[in-house]
Amino acid sequence: MNQYVNKKFSNQYKATIGADFLTKEVQFEDRLFTLQIWDTAGQERFQSLGVAFYRGADCCVLVYDVNSMKSFDNLNNWREEFLIQASPSDPDNFPFVLLGNKVDVDDGNSRVVSEKKAKAWCASKGNIPYFETSAKDGTNVEEAFQCIVKNALKNEPEEELYVPDTVDVVGGNRAQRSSGCC
Amino acid sequence: MLPDGGADDEERWLAEGIAGVQQNAFYMHRALDSNNLKDALKYSAQMLSELRTSRLSPHKYYDLYMRAFDEMRKLEMFFREETRRGSCSVVDLYELVQHAGNVLPRLYLLCTVGSVYIKSKEAPAKDVLKDLVEMCRGIQHPLRGLFLRSYLSQISRDKLPDIGSEYEGDADSINDAVEFVLQNFIEMNKLWVRMQHQGPVREKEKRGKERNELRDLVGKNLHVLSQIEGVDLDMYKETVLPRILEQVVNCKDELAQFYLMDCIIQVFPDEYHLQTLETLLSAFPQLQPNVDIKTVLSQLMDRLSSYAAASPEVLPEFLQVEAFAKFSNAIGKVIEAQVDMPVVGAVTLYVSLLTFTLRVHPDRLDYVDQVLGACVKKLSGNAKLEDSRATKQIVALLSAPLEKYSNIVTALELSNYPRVMDYLDNSTTKVMALVIIQSIMKNTTCISTSDKIEALFDLIKGLIKDMDGAQDDELDDEDFKEEQNSVARLIHMLHNDDHEEMLKILCTVQKHILQGGPKRLPFTVPSLVFSALKLVRRLQGQDGDVIGEDVPATPKKIFQILHQTIEALSCVPSPELALRLYLQCAEDSKAQITAIHLIIGTLQRMSIFGVENRDTLTHKTTGYSAKLLKKPDQCRAVYACSHLFWTDDQDGIMDGERVLLCLKRALRIANAAQQMANVTRGSSGSVALFIEILNKYLYFFEKGIPEITNTVIQDLIELIRTEKQSENSVADPSTEAFFASTLRYIEFQKQKGGSIGEKYEQIKTT
Repeated sequence: MNQYVNKKFSNQYKATIGADFLTKEVQFEDRLFTLQIWDTAGQERFQSLGVAFYRGADCCVLVYDVNSMKSFDNLNNWREEFLIQASPSDPDNFPFVLLGNKVDVDDGNSRVVSEKKAKAWCASKGNIPYFETSAKDGTNVEEAFQCIVKNALKNEPEEELYVPDTVDVVGGNRAQRSSGCC
Repeated sequence: MLPDGGADDEERWLAEGIAGVQQNAFYMHRALDSNNLKDALKYSAQMLSELRTSRLSPHKYYDLYMRAFDEMRKLEMFFREETRRGSCSVVDLYELVQHAGNVLPRLYLLCTVGSVYIKSKEAPAKDVLKDLVEMCRGIQHPLRGLFLRSYLSQISRDKLPDIGSEYEGDADSINDAVEFVLQNFIEMNKLWVRMQHQGPVREKEKRGKERNELRDLVGKNLHVLSQIEGVDLDMYKETVLPRILEQVVNCKDELAQFYLMDCIIQVFPDEYHLQTLETLLSAFPQLQPNVDIKTVLSQLMDRLSSYAAASPEVLPEFLQVEAFAKFSNAIGKVIEAQVDMPVVGAVTLYVSLLTFTLRVHPDRLDYVDQVLGACVKKLSGNAKLEDSRATKQIVALLSAPLEKYSNIVTALELSNYPRVMDYLDNSTTKVMALVIIQSIMKNTTCISTSDKIEALFDLIKGLIKDMDGAQDDELDDEDFKEEQNSVARLIHMLHNDDHEEMLKILCTVQKHILQGGPKRLPFTVPSLVFSALKLVRRLQGQDGDVIGEDVPATPKKIFQILHQTIEALSCVPSPELALRLYLQCAEDSKAQITAIHLIIGTLQRMSIFGVENRDTLTHKTTGYSAKLLKKPDQCRAVYACSHLFWTDDQDGIMDGERVLLCLKRALRIANAAQQMANVTRGSSGSVALFIEILNKYLYFFEKGIPEITNTVIQDLIELIRTEKQSENSVADPSTEAFFASTLRYIEFQKQKGGSIGEKYEQIKTT
């Protein structure tokens, strides 16, 4: 998220408390949108108020660490939890985007989740778009967000768009909402 | 505080609130669509008035807040458009929204316009922020105040005059950003703490719960601080950390202190903690006595040790800041300050410190021992630990070095290791003993000196013998078997290539396992027996010269040990096992017999040795022969030795005297065997020995050894007859047949005539 919005990246681990929130103006098909990006805390103990901000999201971005099987295995939980909490009107067609992050680590040598495996998961959840990203060097971050915006806008009839987010240091996920506006 | 309403009531109030927000939002949208600023302000203020409710729990209030928040984003866009179009200046707007009648909606609106104001850059961000953070003092109701300030924090999140941000002002603007967040944090914490002290006492618990739900609103500020680019180590050290800690310590609120310390540790980077350890740790003893310091402190140590493990290049920094000493010191102080801390708390702290030490200073065994020593000191007031959680932690404490070093030998060097174990109850002592044995097995650690084994057996004594007051009855049979099998396996891991040391090891093991009592012996004795036999084989496998009087490790001694050990089984109802073990030992002596016969056969054919060497060799061989375990074997080996002194080759040795000596000796042994057999009503085996010897006599008789006369043979035949008759048992047919055919042979030779016939002539066979 920080890479996308501020072009910044920090290697240091800093826990997120509550929901982190950033906005970014994006140009899409000649229109200007303000994207609201919400990043959830990866640790449950820093989510004391719950996730009321899921509601009204236009897109949900799930992020896992390609070097951690556990983060990949957790995706199902995050997705289901999102659908329960956000209760979108058409859960089967709610836009998700999956990012396999940290592909830069150790030149990919420590990678444990293959692209094939991730894509298979995406296919099983109704063809979720998938991107392999590096928040550190910015690989695919812009492309991923373009896709996020596109999917969020498709969902516009819902009035509000949700967009999920990016860089998960702990391997959790984030939801983001974006409100489209000119 | 919230009135006591059922969950249903609360749902209803929330629904009403949401309806209010939605309705006003609808009119607000219409006003926005028609660029009607006045109506937009009016309806947004009415919408925000829904947030004035006192009836909702934090969770529900958050839900309502989020709905209003979403609507406010649209209003903010509108404000921005308005100011861009120039239809209303942002300064005017900032004034205008202050006309809202109610303070809460007014401040939400003000914050929203403030956001636009900063974005417009018509005033320095720091001035606007400062104004807003001051104005928010207008709300002193904790719940509403916390959410309002949280709103301020959210809308200002990307507008802080941070380094590199577009709102960066003059050189000091980073200070303004930090100051703004700190101030908001302090105000929020005050509201949060005050909440505890408002309202009726009977709702205290409920308040605690609600406060807990709200904690992230306060902690969020620390997260924001950690995200500010300009907060470098210096600023963190000089300003941020001291200011936060000051607030944490001074608020004197347990919940806040516990949570915020946790936040500090989690949101700021590892290297900051490392470089400010002293400051951070100094806060701990100042916290309220009931704060769960051990959890927080453990988390800090865990974090830093993970940091060290992941980035070995930072290790010098750990040394430089003396991290171990600081933690060790801080833990001591905390334990001292918190008199009521249960033992489990203290031990948990030591576990964390130990984990830290093992990861950061794996080479400092003295640190490890120091931690264990501190733990012993803490435990010293107590008898054996009863608290199962505490014992669990002790097991963790004692297991950590084993896992780290994968070598029990290292742990054996820790003087405090056994002392900590002394505080465990019997069953935990066993658990720990099994952990130790498993570690040895897993790492195939070889323990090679009797001293270390002595220390090891002390550690695992729970498995070796009955402990005082132990109730083994409750122990499952299966478990017991498993335990003792572990001990048995362990015995095989004790090894030294040096025979003398190996013998000492065997003695040490013997000493310990013989204390095991009838239940354990059947499991442990076999291992020792096999281990000892292995040594015997090794002794045999080497140069025979070691068998001197001054060499301690001789097969004889080992067999003595074996004998003692197996004899111990006599008190155990398992004669079969004892027998099998004896047989195993005998099995070994069979190998010796084979070896001796091979030696004899080889030596007999060798002509290369000089007289002296040959003499030595034959002497040794006969010596060994007479030392075999069983009499019949001795006997057979000794008579076989007779061949060493009579060879048919040219220039071969022909020493009839010594041939006779061997045979006579064999006879004596056979005699002794016979006596033993009589005593034990044994078999007729010994008569067979005599007959075998007779055959040897005949052989040498035919060779013409002068010392072997027909009288000697005649006497022997008579002896055999007597022995046969005296044997009260039924004669063994094979012995009978053997004797009969020997006599037939003599008759046959007689009839042959010639010189042989003459020789035999005088021997009577009937």
